[in-house]
Amino acid sequence: MKTTIIALLLGAASVFAAEPAKPAAELPPCCRPAVPLGKPTDKSLYLLDSKWTSDVGKTIPLSVLRGRPQVVAMFFSSCEYACPIIVNDMRTLEAKLPANVRAKTDFLLVSFDTKRDTVAALAAYRKKEKIPTANWTLLRGGEDDVRELAALLGINYSQDARGQFAHSNVITVLNAEGEIAFQQPGLNAAPTALVDAVAKAAKDAKR
Amino acid sequence: MATLPDGKYRPLFRGEKDAKEIAIASFQLDERPVTNGEFLGFVRENPKWQRSQVKRLFADERYLAHWAGDGDLGKADPAQPVTQVSWFAAKAFAAWSGKRLPSTAEWEFAAGAGFTNPDGTKEPEFQQAIAKWYGTPTPDVLPAAGSGKPNVHGLRDLHGLVWEWTSDFNSAIVTGDARGDTGLERNLFCGAGSLGAKDTGNFPAFMRFGMRSSLKAGYTVHNLGFRCAKDIPSK
Repeated sequence: MKTTIIALLLGAASVFAAEPAKPAAELPPCCRPAVPLGKPTDKSLYLLDSKWTSDVGKTIPLSVLRGRPQVVAMFFSSCEYACPIIVNDMRTLEAKLPANVRAKTDFLLVSFDTKRDTVAALAAYRKKEKIPTANWTLLRGGEDDVRELAALLGINYSQDARGQFAHSNVITVLNAEGEIAFQQPGLNAAPTALVDAVAKAAKDAKR
Repeated sequence: MATLPDGKYRPLFRGEKDAKEIAIASFQLDERPVTNGEFLGFVRENPKWQRSQVKRLFADERYLAHWAGDGDLGKADPAQPVTQVSWFAAKAFAAWSGKRLPSTAEWEFAAGAGFTNPDGTKEPEFQQAIAKWYGTPTPDVLPAAGSGKPNVHGLRDLHGLVWEWTSDFNSAIVTGDARGDTGLERNLFCGAGSLGAKDTGNFPAFMRFGMRSSLKAGYTVHNLGFRCAKDIPSK
């Protein structure tokens, strides 16, 4: 009981503390100040020490995303077929979330394409697709790190002769601790189960 | 390590527009799989990879379960290939040794070489030997790594001992439910599967493909080990 009250007080305090600062809405989730939350759990993806670069040019470990649920997909910006659909599925999901859940949920797109998806290419993709800045992170990484993250998300992929990537279509919900809370394979599926999973994960949001 | 020459690998499955062959640049490959003894040296120096210390994200509950303890092989023979290791652990061992895991294309290229002919498909004796292994269950007690007959490049036990991790084991585009995947190899499942394959007679290659596509990076399996590769230093 006591700890709950303290946690509530702390939570309230951090909200107040954050308010006078520059509006967080200007920065994508990757670039918000990290919150110290102790050691990640044994199943947390935030145990990874790989470094990633966002479309705003900042280099970060994934653990800076800790504290809020992340809806994650892997994509590549020159994709002709499935990626626009998977990004659309994520946007549909975002629109279906109740406002209080949406305010505590981030979205993360990580590129397969280590060569063509440069920082500039990702920034152009964000602009072209009108991807909101406030809660969407776009990341690129090194080949080994992309392969490793895909392996953790259970995503298989290979590049064909034309440079297109064949890949599994999976939307993953990471909870605030970075553990896989839910995965939805396939495209154009009704987002009901995803909405439920995100709403559940958002209850434990730490920021 | 053995040095493999430049060469070409013909993927088992490919898209209609893909090239028939992938060029393989000359590289080095361990002559035999990594052993229990060698892996023990690794976990002693890297406690976070010990059985009791490893994070669940990186290896499942059976990680090194056949050893007696963190620093004790127990009944496991130091000369046997190490098994019950996850992809993450294999990758970490390789990096610690200043090496890397071979890609699937590199591994298959190496494994396609016969005892006397760099193209094993042209050597009936080699084909019979590997078909025999793929039809035999794993023995309870694994033989020592390196006891198999060397192929033309001096590599042993690519067939006949344990399955081996590759760096891009997760490049096979299949899942239990193929609707979840997009792209070239969606025809893999069901009877039509082998139509997209280049060599329908190469049954062991299908088995390896199926084995890899069933794996997840944290899995540990009693007959799955690994060996390391290395780039040729640029001149």
